[in-house]
Amino acid sequence: MAADVHSKGVTWDTPNGNLAPVEHLPNSRSESPTPGLVEGTEPGASQERAMFAHTQSFEDLTADVELTGSHHSEVEEVEEEQQGGLEGGVEGGVEGEGGGGEDAAVVEPKPEVQAVVREKEEDVTSETWRSHKKHVFVLSEAGKPIYTRYGSEEALSSTMGVMMALVSFVEADKNVILSIHADGFRVVFLRKSPLVLVCVSRSGQSDGELWRELHYVYYQILSLLTLPQLQRVFQQRQSFDLRRLLSGSERVTAGLLRLLEMDAGLMLNATMSLPLCSTTRNVVCTSLQAASSKNLVFSVLLAGSRLVALIRKKEQHLHHTDLHLLSNLAASSSSFRQGEGWTPVCLPKFNASGFFHAHISYLEQASDLCLILVSTDREDFFNLSDCKQRFLDRLKKRNVYQALQEALHTPTYPVSQVGIPELWHFVYKSKSSGLYTSPELPVPYRTEEEQERLMELYRYLHSRLHHPTRPLRSIYRCTNTENLLGWSTSGFELYLCFSPLATKALAMSAVTKLLKWIRKEEDRLFILNSLTY
Amino acid sequence: MSAMRIDAKVVMLGKESVGKTSLVERYVHHRFLVGPYQNTIGAAFVAKSISVGDKVITLGIWDTAGSERYEAMSRIYYRGARAAIVCYDLTDNSSFQRARFWVKELQTFEEHCKIYLCGTKNDLVEGDRSARQVDYHDVQDFVEEIGAQHFETSSKTGNNVDALFTKVAEDFSNSAFELLSAEEKGVNLDQKKNSYLYSCCHH
Ligand SMILES: Nc1nc2c(ncn2[C@@H]2O[C@H](COP(=O)(O)OP(=O)(O)OP(=O)(O)O)[C@@H](O)[C@H]2O)c(=O)[nH]1
Ligand SMILES: [Mg+2]
Repeated sequence: MAADVHSKGVTWDTPNGNLAPVEHLPNSRSESPTPGLVEGTEPGASQERAMFAHTQSFEDLTADVELTGSHHSEVEEVEEEQQGGLEGGVEGGVEGEGGGGEDAAVVEPKPEVQAVVREKEEDVTSETWRSHKKHVFVLSEAGKPIYTRYGSEEALSSTMGVMMALVSFVEADKNVILSIHADGFRVVFLRKSPLVLVCVSRSGQSDGELWRELHYVYYQILSLLTLPQLQRVFQQRQSFDLRRLLSGSERVTAGLLRLLEMDAGLMLNATMSLPLCSTTRNVVCTSLQAASSKNLVFSVLLAGSRLVALIRKKEQHLHHTDLHLLSNLAASSSSFRQGEGWTPVCLPKFNASGFFHAHISYLEQASDLCLILVSTDREDFFNLSDCKQRFLDRLKKRNVYQALQEALHTPTYPVSQVGIPELWHFVYKSKSSGLYTSPELPVPYRTEEEQERLMELYRYLHSRLHHPTRPLRSIYRCTNTENLLGWSTSGFELYLCFSPLATKALAMSAVTKLLKWIRKEEDRLFILNSLTY
Repeated sequence: MSAMRIDAKVVMLGKESVGKTSLVERYVHHRFLVGPYQNTIGAAFVAKSISVGDKVITLGIWDTAGSERYEAMSRIYYRGARAAIVCYDLTDNSSFQRARFWVKELQTFEEHCKIYLCGTKNDLVEGDRSARQVDYHDVQDFVEEIGAQHFETSSKTGNNVDALFTKVAEDFSNSAFELLSAEEKGVNLDQKKNSYLYSCCHH
């Protein structure tokens, strides 16, 4: 992949006088034409304390991977290329199957569910299996298969044995194998004793990006077992078959891998908030705050993967990774729709050594509003069930339940609201709040393949802005189908996608205009105050 | 829904994918989800009211996940349960071995919990006798020995599902009456908070 990137080394002089960093008083939310570039004053910055654990984006996840070089270099450069976009792999479409249920009460499962089953049933010697863009394998140090994204683990035991042999061979030399680059392929290893995680990718992503994804898979496993339990079973028996303890979680992991491909939040280490008028949001937040209970640590209200409200215990911060894991868990099983779910869950970034207990339910049967209440007490179910009821009653009494339901019908906004015709799409992350906003995907990106391709382009920009040794401040990139701009300051990260007719000058002026628009809309697009119980 | 008082705690136990969730779905929501199954994560709680004679009884049903991962956690789900529906798949002999494990566990830790052994997916063995891996009479002998009840159900067709839960509610209703007169003096205020642990019917 690296071969088709041609740096023309064009330097980018002060692109626009208006955008030079300005001195801002903390918390000044001025209507100044130069929105704050400093952390804490950017559009969408939270007013008081941060809502999330404060971390740098992906460096945090790869911090324990040995990478040399400093993260602080202030390289500013622009890179332009003319090429046909990133190489897209061959990906079969998902055909929805319409089997006839004889009985009205028989409900057909969603196509995604069927896809997961098909993937697990794949023949590992087939061409389809070989041609997947990204494989993920998890094995034990004894070389026993624990997880494969495609096909069955049993069928891959010798392949995984070879992987472990490779790892051990390099380690015998007091060395660590990080990755192998072959023709069009990358094999990336992540060693997290007692596990070994391996990714085989043809996606053109950098090693760093792939490590980040493997870390997610690792944390996913910890969230089900906790680290001490994982270590204990292998201490007791090196050849333990971990699949016994992970059984039933295949859909959770498959869902996570899917999110890594489609959801910018996992790349940005940020959460998307549901656009909501600020008065409604305030009532929702205060109602959730009031529905507290002694052992509650976090209350999270989600609309799909979008955050509506988050309340936390004083001094406790939820990490993005943990929030993504929680939200993926909730989305992975229909059992939470059946009634109220009650499950142990470890939040590995918060504390990998113990379980919390999560009450997971939808506000109403058919609603998309999912409430997750996280407690320290395993006996807390009925207290939390009561919290949920109090929250719901209050929403209804104060007449915001309806408003909230309506907001769900428009969970996003068209990019045309910004008023820049050439702007097709963008992703804006406010670093201090850890939230991001993004408009709905426009027509050219409606299909799943196109959506994935756009995400790939953003991921590429992201990896350049976060390069471990040579991070860029900004990058401009042209393909045949779109022009892209990525830009990172200490306050925000911004990724823009323009029509191929846009020029660099236009892109630069669009940034100013967009930041102003986000500032104007920040009440609606972001969650500005972070409440505690 | 959840604010309603629960009269009897009922717990669903059994190996993964034997059909516990399908049974509860059929009983509570009158539907059946075909195709690849979605494992329960942890447990799901649902309340359902049922009339028995002139009384209305609310069952609090805990549908637990069969995965071994949650085994250490299982006590919190069955503790204080008045009824346990221990499921096994009629087409899978190993699931019956697992059912025996749960019976033993209940006999050791929850002697007041009534046990209902439930063979699931009856529709699969009805069309094709050779699919049956668990013999009706063997289970019947076992059930008599341990003083339990025995049902064979299909969540797909709905066969025997209501009968099972109705029997659970009736047995509870009868026994709650005895229990109430025996324990009337023992009720204290603290119990309210923990009523789900030792759910009893205080009228
Ligand atoms: N034919 C038939 N299939 C059934 C019946 N009940 C359940 N199934 C199927 O069996 C599979 C497992 O059902 P679930 O109800 O999810 O199993 P479970 O016991 O809740 O599994 P865990 O939650 O993992 O413990 C699903 O694919 C169901 O469609 C039945 O009565 N007849
Ligand atoms: Mg289930």
